Amino acid sequence: MSGQRIAALFRRVVLEIRRDRPSLALLFIAPVLVTGLVAFILREGQAPTVDAVIVNEAGAPGEALGTALGAAIVAGGGSATEAPDEATARSMIEAGTATVAVRFPSDLATAQSPTITVITDGLDPAGDATQLAALQRAMQSVLGSALGSKSPTITHETLYGTPSDDPLTNYAPALVGFFVYFFVYLLTGVSFLRERTGGTLERLLATPVARGEIVAGYTLGFGLFAAFQVAVMVAWALGTIEVPAIGPLPAFSIGLGIDVAGSPLLAYLVVVLLAIGAVSLGIFLSTFARTELQVIQFIPLVIVPQVLLSGVLFPLASLPEVIRPISAIMPLTYAVDGLRQVFVRGADLSVEALQLDLAVLVGFAVFFATIASLTIRRDVA
Amino acid sequence: MEANDTSASTGPSPAAAIRADGLVKRFGPIHAVDGVTVELAPGRIYGLLGPNGSGKTTLIRLLTGLARPTAGRAEVLGVSMPSRTILSRIGYMTQSDGVYTALTAAENVGFFAATYGVRDRSAVASALDLVDLADRAGSITGTLSGGQRRRLSLACALVHRPPVLFLDEPTVGVDPLLRVQFWSHFRTLADGGATIVVSSHVMDEADRCDELLFIRSGTVIARGSGDDLRARAGTSDLEEAFLHFGGDVRVTR
Repeated sequence: MSGQRIAALFRRVVLEIRRDRPSLALLFIAPVLVTGLVAFILREGQAPTVDAVIVNEAGAPGEALGTALGAAIVAGGGSATEAPDEATARSMIEAGTATVAVRFPSDLATAQSPTITVITDGLDPAGDATQLAALQRAMQSVLGSALGSKSPTITHETLYGTPSDDPLTNYAPALVGFFVYFFVYLLTGVSFLRERTGGTLERLLATPVARGEIVAGYTLGFGLFAAFQVAVMVAWALGTIEVPAIGPLPAFSIGLGIDVAGSPLLAYLVVVLLAIGAVSLGIFLSTFARTELQVIQFIPLVIVPQVLLSGVLFPLASLPEVIRPISAIMPLTYAVDGLRQVFVRGADLSVEALQLDLAVLVGFAVFFATIASLTIRRDVA
Repeated sequence: MEANDTSASTGPSPAAAIRADGLVKRFGPIHAVDGVTVELAPGRIYGLLGPNGSGKTTLIRLLTGLARPTAGRAEVLGVSMPSRTILSRIGYMTQSDGVYTALTAAENVGFFAATYGVRDRSAVASALDLVDLADRAGSITGTLSGGQRRRLSLACALVHRPPVLFLDEPTVGVDPLLRVQFWSHFRTLADGGATIVVSSHVMDEADRCDELLFIRSGTVIARGSGDDLRARAGTSDLEEAFLHFGGDVRVTR
């Protein structure tokens, strides 16, 4: 052991890191940014607005309870309206004019334990949970005085899917979208960086190849593998292969076997569009990286915020008002929503929400491809 | 067809394959190329000679259209650079190998042939043959030696038989025997009418060029054949001649 040699090594390491300014910046900025964002969402996150529609099938006793409940919801910052029957209430949720419906049964006053039904759209489990919690608080304050000793049970129904379902149904879309986005970005970012640093881009630009052709070629090449990846992910998520018991081996099944309401092909389309956008994003961001390490360091800046803000972890409705515009400009937001529309709601191409998601994803792909081809010349050699 | 269609261009000497007029490239305060005006004729080998950092590579990048000049203009085969269409008639061997290490030698040459729009499939084989790599055609480039990769890089620059060829330090890391072969290829191509610009900081290669351009601080400080430059400097040594023409003067701006 030589103290001098160790000191020399120590100095060299410190010098290297000090000169790698992007790494240095990210070393401090990225953790502060990400933890700050999480803290902000958790602290400033809004109790979601409850826009309730009340369906009273119980006559006068329900009337009193409905009025009291409505007042409690409005006091909590929400709104309450009435609907003549459950079908109307459901169509209001579907149209987005109400977030939750409450139905008082006809036996509200007579049964010892009447069943009050609460209906949400069921697209986003975390969002539904916050709706239910808010509604429950409002109910607790009025139920005692209105119903006396009776203890009603509250059941939860959803417009799409059934609430008792596998929780994976709701999380799988987010996970499929996220992983495809993440890996495609990482692969293209690093590959294109190699093209820049290995001198091949310099040479390529000295051929008649146009920048747009480079982006198109990359998109097709990586798009092909992304398409395979998506196919495997979707098949894995939706499929189940039952393997019978063979000899001493017990029977088992392969695949997550999630029940999907819509067409797997539509889900596939959503993710492939997301992946195509990610290819160009990788090319674009490789402009700002000099080493592969730096491509990886962009993850906390470009990937993690999307996970936090696109509805993968936190429901969009609970995000603080100020950062909601940010989630509106993230491709993953639309992919996750599009996948939930297909998986949970069973949306087909006639559903407006899905049309919007697809259109925005196409827009992002075109936008990223354009800026990617515009920045290809930067920093060559 | 090769170099003759430059006759369509206007200018003082229509025969020039490459023309630079007051070419300047600045990177912030640094004048990488500082007012170069030259005309290079077809069928000749030109040597860009100068120390590292004298602006040789930047000059080549301006002439190939990879960099945009701060001032002045560059023309290749009568076409103002940068121009994407004329690039199919220019060959450029970069200072780094610029080949894909995961592909085989033949796949590399084939890829660049396709980008140049070469349809003739035998072009790949003959380019590999030219650089003596025919027997390694199927080898993964990453497994080739440094010299072999340099040859492959040359093959990629030659595969479309360009009438104008820029070679940035082509012989670095190439053994002496192969170096002789390289230069005989260059001569054959020039005899066929090609204009070849070779950059080097190795003076002993200079006498293989028809004409030399001494480059210092982004300017051409002298031009002529090796013998001519030596005679004008009154020395038998090119390095001394380089110093004589101002190669030692640090021009401050």
